[in-house]
This record gives sequence, structure tokens and C-alpha cells, in this order.
Amino acid sequence: MTDLDTRDATGARPITGPAPQEAIHHGPTWKDHARSAIKHVLLIAASLVMIYPLLWLIASSFRPNDVIFRSPGLWVSDLYRENYSQGWYALSNPFGQYIINSAIVVVGAIAGNLFACTLAAYAFARLQFRLRSLWFAIMLLTIMLPFHVVVVPQYIVFNQLGWVNTFVPLILPKFLATDAFFVFLMVQFIRGIPKELDEAARIDGCGHWKIFSRVMLPLMGPAIATTAIFTFIWTWSDFFTPLIYLTDPIAYTVPVALRSFLDATAGSNWGAMFAMSVVTLIPLFLVFLFGQRFLVKGIATTGGK
Amino acid sequence: MAINRRQFLIGAGGLAAAATTVGLAGCAPGSGGGTGSEGGGGGEGGTANLALAWWGNPTRNKNTQAMIDAYMKANSNVKITGQPGEFSSYWDKLATQTAGGTAPDIIQMDMAYIAEYGNRGALMDLKDVDVSKFVEGTVDSGKINDTLVGVNAGINTPLIFGNPKVFEKAKVDLPDDTTWTWDQMSEVAAEVASKSGVPFGLAAFFTSDQMFSAFLRQNGKELFNPDGLAFEPADAQAWFDLMVKFQKAKAIGTPQQISEEFNKPLDQGALVVGKAAMQHYHSNQLEAVNAASGEEMRLLRTPSLTGKATERKAWYKASMLWSVSAKTKSPEAAVAWINWFANDPAAADIEKAERGIPPNSELQEHVRPKLSPAQQTVAKHIADIKPELAPTPIAPPPGGGTLGQVMGRYQTDVLFGRASTADAAKKFVDEVKSNLQV
Amino acid sequence: MSAISELSTVHRVKAKTPEEKRLAAKEAGRDNKAGYLFLLPWLIGLIVITIGPMLASLYLSFTNYSLIQAPRWIGLENYGRMLTDERLHNSLKVTFIYVFVSTPLQLAVALAIALLLNEGMRGLAFYRSVFYLPSMLGASVAIAVLWRQMFEVDGLVNQVLRLLGFEATISWIGDPQWALWTIILLHVWTFGSPMVIFLAGLRQIPGMYYEAAAVDGAGWWVRFTNITLPLLSPIIFFNLVLQIINAFQAFTQAYVVSNGSGGPSDSTMFYTLYLYQKGFVQFQMGYASAMAWLLVVIIAAFTAINFWASKHWVFYGD
Repeated sequence: MTDLDTRDATGARPITGPAPQEAIHHGPTWKDHARSAIKHVLLIAASLVMIYPLLWLIASSFRPNDVIFRSPGLWVSDLYRENYSQGWYALSNPFGQYIINSAIVVVGAIAGNLFACTLAAYAFARLQFRLRSLWFAIMLLTIMLPFHVVVVPQYIVFNQLGWVNTFVPLILPKFLATDAFFVFLMVQFIRGIPKELDEAARIDGCGHWKIFSRVMLPLMGPAIATTAIFTFIWTWSDFFTPLIYLTDPIAYTVPVALRSFLDATAGSNWGAMFAMSVVTLIPLFLVFLFGQRFLVKGIATTGGK
Repeated sequence: MAINRRQFLIGAGGLAAAATTVGLAGCAPGSGGGTGSEGGGGGEGGTANLALAWWGNPTRNKNTQAMIDAYMKANSNVKITGQPGEFSSYWDKLATQTAGGTAPDIIQMDMAYIAEYGNRGALMDLKDVDVSKFVEGTVDSGKINDTLVGVNAGINTPLIFGNPKVFEKAKVDLPDDTTWTWDQMSEVAAEVASKSGVPFGLAAFFTSDQMFSAFLRQNGKELFNPDGLAFEPADAQAWFDLMVKFQKAKAIGTPQQISEEFNKPLDQGALVVGKAAMQHYHSNQLEAVNAASGEEMRLLRTPSLTGKATERKAWYKASMLWSVSAKTKSPEAAVAWINWFANDPAAADIEKAERGIPPNSELQEHVRPKLSPAQQTVAKHIADIKPELAPTPIAPPPGGGTLGQVMGRYQTDVLFGRASTADAAKKFVDEVKSNLQV
Repeated sequence: MSAISELSTVHRVKAKTPEEKRLAAKEAGRDNKAGYLFLLPWLIGLIVITIGPMLASLYLSFTNYSLIQAPRWIGLENYGRMLTDERLHNSLKVTFIYVFVSTPLQLAVALAIALLLNEGMRGLAFYRSVFYLPSMLGASVAIAVLWRQMFEVDGLVNQVLRLLGFEATISWIGDPQWALWTIILLHVWTFGSPMVIFLAGLRQIPGMYYEAAAVDGAGWWVRFTNITLPLLSPIIFFNLVLQIINAFQAFTQAYVVSNGSGGPSDSTMFYTLYLYQKGFVQFQMGYASAMAWLLVVIIAAFTAINFWASKHWVFYGD
């Protein structure tokens, strides 16, 4: 568990993964080609199965409402664009308003989680302090209690603080590491980082803060990227919390706004809802596409001093 | 050091817990505290701030906002903030707000929930609302324990929609709904289903608590009375047996199809997607069903035991009601708005019949020419069935609003052969009774 | 977690002379100031936002609370009712089946695909995104609607089965025997989240181990069991613990696919769905709170088992 920079030094090792037999053989054989081809075929088939529902969603967003539920197929003969143009203006504000609201909440949530969860994780994983196991167990306990029974007392707390109908209840808890999932995630990652690096830094005279910021954080790239991506996606799709804390429609986030298209008793505007769902999926998808790179980088470009 | 820290932390945690508990206790009705409307209440001559909550869809949202704007224009000392929502999540939000003391001032209410809130003191007495011009039978459904806590916001009635096109395809005449009996309904449904090839002759019928209520009333019973459940397991078993009879006659689809239909939203329902000849709906859903299906449906009365529609004990239901939170800081302003909605032609001009036919008979007349063709059909039907009415059923008592869901579960068991109708009926009654007790 | 056992080891080893005790205590508390400082945001959050409501919900479990009126103390009555509540027992059964079938299934698929995608190959980023997409959509109403349709008696799945020659007459979504499996399948379909975490974990395994193994002529399986599995074990453990905790609390997918009913015939009535219904639909929040704390006990028990077992198979570098 010593020199991690051999990965850089060899260079011959592809950044994208451990090398199979290529290290020994001279160039790919027909067996490798066949293997690769089969793999691709399977993967493409699996991909189609995986994204069929999304493709249906996109196709349906181009169909008028009375046709959507009669057509399970993917082929759309006439592109019905009104779902997009009307859907954007169908609610009390242009849909862009809700996307902006969600963006504000999400950025705040990511900042909060990254700030607070990394700190807490470092403490649990690397520091020796009294009652550490107790606090860790309590932290895990907070994940185990179903949120439906905590929602009302929390609402009362936030109401007495005067924060109902603001974004505060949606963002502030993240700065206080209430997403214990990410604390635990980062703890596991940090525990995979060799302690020798800490020792080396300490010998160099670094205090805990320096070790945390100069040594740990750079090495936690995948964990940080994972946290950011998951926070983004979960906060973006969170429905219940914005439902109860946001009363003014102008402040609604995307999931609440999307739900406004539905009316089980009188007929929902599924076409518009699908259209706006597709529109809001695009940022999610882009974030993941872009953020993947950080998952990949890992410790390949960092390594020891 | 460590002990002090631990003590401090435990103390802080305990304080926090105590604070939330006190908050919970402080939210009992009548015990002050809590903010009903945003920005503080209005006193004499000051600006009243009202929060108005409703569930709906973009059309209703636009209408309601237009009404709010019109009202504020005419009454400059009132400011109303709208809180639109979607039906299923509306109740979660309302419950949370009520628990936290931030319930909106004016609340759109449903018959299934009005007793839950009304019986527990969360709703204000609306004796100052003028309901004198309301059609007979439309006021009492909003009364809990003889106190008016909900004002009818629109009349509807449970009935059946028929699709003329499907009947045409089957070369069967649409039934005469003023003379048909339950058996005839089964025959027609089975015939149309087999001849036209649709899976459902009659869809979403037996799983409806409203249709069960219609059946009970014709047999001299009711769903609920002020003491609780007003029917016996034998009555439930009769209903389940009827369902099995219809199913065996191939009038209502296969068990799988019936199970899939249960709880489907309106626009995915069998009739809308062309898989049924008839389906149970409420009258105010005609326009939506027509729009979603692209067809023009026919309104059909529920059948009677004797073949005489005047003996079918129909009733005017409140599709929804307006209530006022008991903790509102502006009771007069809230009541004034409801009065305006219920009695002012200006309100009816905007609302038309979106929430149902206006219960105020004058407004009914006033708005009739402005209604869409579908809504005019509905208005005519509502007026036509006047001779067929019997006393309006009372609102389900607390714990009774979920009767339809409970019933559907036992019916699924019966259909899939997992329980006999006798067992299912007994367990069904037991479960509803225990729901009522808690 | 080894940290817990580590700490208890420290306590166990000494405990002899007062001198050793003092040294051990000092060891355990040597980072006290730094530890609590780093933990401060979490502690504040815990006290202000989390602990209060959690303790309040514990208190509520001993009350009759309708949300609309103030809570009324009834002692252990809620817990007593839970013993005879058949629907609750059923919901436990449904949840247990879901947890112990869907979690291993989903994690196995996630790990397999992560391993597949970890090797250098063309279109890697594309496949990774494609396999993650379902996780992004998974809980949405739009997908739930489609999922219902696909598994209806004349839906897409049966149509495909009929093409393949089967006599598909079962309504997967309408038949109480099969409905749960559609939700299990939905959960497995959203394997993207644990897959991403596995990928991140695989990234962190130093390449030199694989190179050394390749030089020694080790085959794929040997590499997998001797290098990948041990070095990935902290992440596998994490995924296992958290997916089980999450699976016990699964709510949204059952809610949207069954339209909130837990049907047909309570076959998809997950424990937290039943809890939600009791609390918000039937206005019995006291009972729901009691149910919540029972769930905490169950989850804590299984998590403790997980942690205890981890000593035997999780390999930490430190």
C-alpha cells in the first residue's frame, strides 16, 4: 500500500481500468475481438431494456393526451410539439421558474453536504475522540427512522423558527450533515486511504486541518463526486419536503410543479407533464455525464507526495 | 470535562424534544399559537390576509386565481394568497399544516375528510354563510354534529357513463336508464361486451363505495349513520355476491382486469381508453371524460330494484366543500369570501360549473346559458333527477373515509378466489368498524 | 465497523492498572478537541433538527395523535395493537421478502455491470450513463405509470411473452401473487446508484496489484477473488448496509406503482407504506410512530449483524 504513483509512472496502464491480458500478449487476438463483440452486443441489448421506459417517456411527450395511454410503442408518427410549448406556460409561472428554484435548492444542498459530510467523515474515520462509537451509532440510527414520523415534529420546529415557506428547511439541514448516508460513504472511502499518508504529513508538521484539506480531500475525489452527483439527483427529485414547506407556488421546485399537472379526479395533462419531465431530466443527465469524469479520475492523477 | 459536555448535549437534546412536544400540544384547537395566515391577521378595518388552499389541475388553478383576483379587486381590504395543490398530496400537506398550526384559512374540503377535520374541532362554524338559496339536500352534507362546517362548492351525483359508439358497434340500443333494473344492467353490459369485443361491459362499478351506497339505500340501509356503520355483513355479502354474479355473466371483465382498473386515474380509465361500454363516474366528470376520450358520453342513471327510477334513492353529493380553519385570524373575511363564492353571480361567471353545479338555485339559472354543452347536459340531468332523490347520506365519520379502499381489497380477494364472499364480507365489516373506533 | 471494535479493543487491552487505564483514556481522547470541532456541524444538526423530532416521535408512539388534535397519552396501547394487527404482519412479510430478495439481486447486478464497465472499452461513458439513467427516473410518477402499463394483462411484457410462444394470461400488476415482483424488478432496474458507488470504489484499487498479478499469470477469477473483492470489500459492505437500510424503508416505488393503495389486496403494502397510511390517511400518527420505532429496532438489529459479520470479510487498509 505504498507508492500509488506507479500508476502514473508506468503510463502504459490505461486510465480506464486494470489491464487484462494485453500486458502479456502482443496485440489483440481474434478471440479478444470476438469477446469484445459479444460484450458489446449484450451491453447494447441491456441498454435498450434499461432505457426503454425513458424512450417511451420521450415518445409520449410528443403525443397528445388522448393517445398516450393507447400507445405502448416508441414510434411517433406526428410530432405533437404543443406539450412542450403549452406545458412550459401551463402552470401559474413559466416552467423555467421551477427549474431555477430547484437549481437553487440543489446547489445549496450540494455545497452543504460536501462541506459538512467531509468534516464529519474525517472525524469518524481518522480522529480518536471520546464517545466516537456512540456518535457513529447515533448517526446510523438517524438513517433508520422512517422520515414520515419525523416530518411533522420537524415541521413544527421549522415553523417555530419561522422558516416555513422558505428554502431554508430544504438547504440548511445539508450544511448540518443530516444526510448521514454521505457521512458513512465518505467514512468508508477514507478508511481505504492508507494511514501512512497521514503519518507522512504529520511528520511534516501538519495539523489535522492541513491533513484534512491537503491530504484527504484530494484523495477523496470519487467519494466527493459521488456525493455531489447523488445529492444533486436526490434533491432534484425530492417531492415531500418541498411539498410541505413551500406554500407559495412561485417557490415550487420541479417535482411539486410536475405533480400539478396531474388530477386523478378530472384528467391530468400527462403530455405536458411528460414533456416537462423530459426537460428537467436533461440537467440531471448532463450533470451525471459531466460528473462521471471525476468518478473516473480517482487517484490516478493525485498520488503521494 | 467530558461529563459536562455530555450533560450539556443531553440537556440540549431534551430541551429540543420538549420544545417540539410543547409545540405539538400547543396545536390543539383553541389553545392559541400558530399562524393561520401569512403576514399576520387583520383586525377591525385593517387588511385581512387569507390563505386559500385547493386541489385541482391547471384549468381549475387558473379559474380559482381569476376569482381571487376579481374578489381582491372588489374588496381592497382583503389580500388572498392561493395555495394550489394536487389531490393526493393535498391531504398530506393539509394534515402537516394543521399539526403545525399553519392551516390555510379557507380550505377546499372533500366529503371523505370533512368529518376527520370537523369532528376534531379543526373547522369553524359557518353559520354566517348564507345558504338560504341552496337547493334542498345540498346543505346538510356539510354538517358535522349539526354544525355547518363545509359549504357545498358544487353539486354532483354518482352515476354511470355510457359510450354510444361502443353500443353502436355492438348493435345494442342504449338502455332506458329510467326503467332498468340491476339484472337488466348486467344483461346489457354482458351483451355489449361480447358483441363489441371490449373487455368491460361495465367498469369500476362494484369497487365504488358510492355504488355500494346506492345499493344499500335501495335495500333500506345506508353506509353510515351518526352511530357508525349502518349496514351488516349480510348486506356486504349481498353486494359481493352480486359482483360475482355479474362477473360470471361476463359483464364486468376478468378478475385481473378488474384489479388493474382499481384506483386508476380518470384519464387511464377503461371507458376513456375505449375498453368499456359503461363505467361509474360522478356527473361533474363528464367534461373531463369527454375531453380525455374524444367521445361524447351519455349519462345513465343507476338502476333500481323495481324498474322505477323514482325509487332509486339518488342523492345530491357535494363534489367538494369550502371550509374555514378554526384557527383563522380573519374569520369574517373568510366567511365573506365563501358567501361571495356561493351567492355572487360574479363568482359563478368565472367558476361556471367547474367544481360541480352551483347549489344556489339562482346562480344555477344565471350560469346555465354560459355553460359548455357537456356541462349543460349535466345541469339538466341534475335538475331532472329531483323527483328521484332521497335524503342525502351523511358524511363518513372519522375513519370511514377509507371504506372504498378497504372494500376493494376484500373484493380482490373474492375475485381471485382467496376468500369466500361470506368471509370477506364479515372481515370487511369488522375492519371498517375497527377503523371507526380509533 | 472496525472502528467500533478498534475502540473497544483499546478499552479491552488495558483496563488493568490505573496507569494503563489513564494512558488508554488519553489515547481515546487525544483528538478530542479536533474531533468535536470537525464534528460540530453534524452535532448542531443532530441537536437542533434531528434529535428533537426523533425523541418527539418516540413520545408520540405512546400517544393517540390524530395530527389535528393534541396527542393523548395511552401508554403501550399502540404497541399492543401491533401484536394483533394482521395487516401489519403482512406488511412485515412483504417488506422482508422485498429486502432479502431485491437487495442481493440488485447489488449483484450492480457489481457485475460495474466490473464489466471498469475495463477499458469503447463507449464506456455512454454505457455508464445509460445504466445510471433508471436510477434518476426510478421514483417518478411517469415511470410508475409506464411500469403499471407494461405489466398489465395485455401490456408490453405479456405481448412479448406471447410472441415468444408463452400463453401469458397473468396480470403481473393486478394479481396479488405477482404484483410484488414487479416492484422488486423495478428496484433491480434502478441498480445505477450502487453501481456508481462500486465503480468509484474500483477506481481506488491501485493498478499495480493487477499488473503484478498479470505478471504472475493469474487468471481473471483469481484476480477477482484475491484482489478485487478484498480491496472492494469496504464499499461492498457500505452498499450492503445502506441498501438493506433503504430497502426496509422502501416507500416511493410501492406508493407510485400501486397508486398509494399497497394493492392489489395488500400484496405491495410495504411497511413504511402502511405506516404512512396509518399516519396521514387514517390520522393515527401515534400508531405510525410506534411502527416507526419497531422498524428502527429491526433495522438496527440487522445492521448490527452486518457490522458484526463484517469483521470476517471486510478488509480495511488501515
